[in-house]
Amino acid sequence: MAPELSHEEILRYSRHLLIPEVGLEGQRKLKSSSALVIGTGGLGSPVALYLAAAGVGHIGLVDFDVVDKSNLQRQVIHGKSTIGKLKVESARNKLLDLNSDIQIDIYDEPFTSENAIRIAENYDVLIDGTDNFPTRYLTNDVCVFLGKPNVYGSIFRFDGQLSVFDARLGPCYRCLFPEPPPRGLVPSCAEGGVLGVLPGTIGTLQATEALKILLGIGDTMVGRLLLYNALDMSFDFVKLKKNPKCRVCGPHADIKELIDYEEFCGVPGHDHNDEGSAGKDRDITATELAERCRSGKLVLLDVREPHELQISALPNTLNIPLGQLAGRLTELDSAEDMVVFCKAGTRSTRALELLISAGFKKVKNLKGGINAWAREVDQELPIY
Amino acid sequence: MDMPIVRFPALMKFYVDNQIEFPCMGVTVAELLDNLVARYPALQPHLFEPGGNMRRHFNIFVNGEHIRELNGLDTPLKNDDKVILMVSAAGG
Repeated sequence: MAPELSHEEILRYSRHLLIPEVGLEGQRKLKSSSALVIGTGGLGSPVALYLAAAGVGHIGLVDFDVVDKSNLQRQVIHGKSTIGKLKVESARNKLLDLNSDIQIDIYDEPFTSENAIRIAENYDVLIDGTDNFPTRYLTNDVCVFLGKPNVYGSIFRFDGQLSVFDARLGPCYRCLFPEPPPRGLVPSCAEGGVLGVLPGTIGTLQATEALKILLGIGDTMVGRLLLYNALDMSFDFVKLKKNPKCRVCGPHADIKELIDYEEFCGVPGHDHNDEGSAGKDRDITATELAERCRSGKLVLLDVREPHELQISALPNTLNIPLGQLAGRLTELDSAEDMVVFCKAGTRSTRALELLISAGFKKVKNLKGGINAWAREVDQELPIY
Repeated sequence: MDMPIVRFPALMKFYVDNQIEFPCMGVTVAELLDNLVARYPALQPHLFEPGGNMRRHFNIFVNGEHIRELNGLDTPLKNDDKVILMVSAAGG
């Protein structure tokens, strides 16, 4: 039986109680319901804030990251005062300030095959606000195996996607995306950027879907996908159906338990771009590069987009964006020593692989990219 | 000549002169993709695997329907049909 509301709660939720589709009964339903928010970043911020404000009685937050200054352009649950602190703690404090009548459980750990079922089984609905493919496939499979709805959102630059995957009623994430993109083909927000307000738009839509599911009202996005483009303000809805060949929810499914998702996707289960290493033998550090530049001829190949050169740049470089590199190899001389760099080392690692497969042997990757150069060699350059 | 309208995600428009939406000839989806790749060769590795099959993180919708539910790459196209190319994105 759903819990009663106190007089204070009746006042707090009065605007909900006035809506016939919610009313007193719906608000009590929300009080007894639970939602797991996976990721407390761009999407997780508005999702958690609105679910807490709406009175969802039990909210779980999963994240192992700490708040960084570069998060604040869009991750509105965090603030200047929580830079360097755990995101789940930063978020919990904000949520409890908003609504101390609800229970917030935090999981300061990566969401993995080892802990996902244990964490997720306590919640009615999962909200996918992660920033990487392994965690998205994991979230999907957990929802399929536990029979729970997965409120999906994703963002990139000006584009957002929204759906509700529920294998009991319609397709799952794998029905739409049987396989992740090959490594390097789809950039992340850390590499390609994202409009700060975009996760606000998509995240609030995710929160809306989660509330409808918990209340049992309206038509959810099961079987539909929204493709939102902020630049031309277009909302395209497309239909989704179950994929009969789906390996996790199809009639001949062969994936019956959680797998190694980092191996499946070929990328790590996070979007940190501060590693930027191509491996010990292929890396050169910023300090080593500064020394090397003094001792002889060297081609510095910058594979960032042209507009990034306005943020920070090194002198005497050749700029060929990664996306154009395959078609412009003739501009390069494989006999020359070359160091490839980008912002933080992710794109340059891919460029290095491309160059090596094309027969270039005298190439190195600037570990950590131009940001590492800004930290180690030239502090006058900004870090972005 | 049939000219469906093709729509590109942000992840891909870099390869098509930064356009979101433009008309492209094609009486089937396959022909439209061929014409796109002919006009923008950098698209080739993004749309197709080295063996020529379409990449599996890609989805194509014609007038809101997945081509899997229509005739796949042989789905016929007519003037002003809206062809949406959609790719998975992980950002959050």
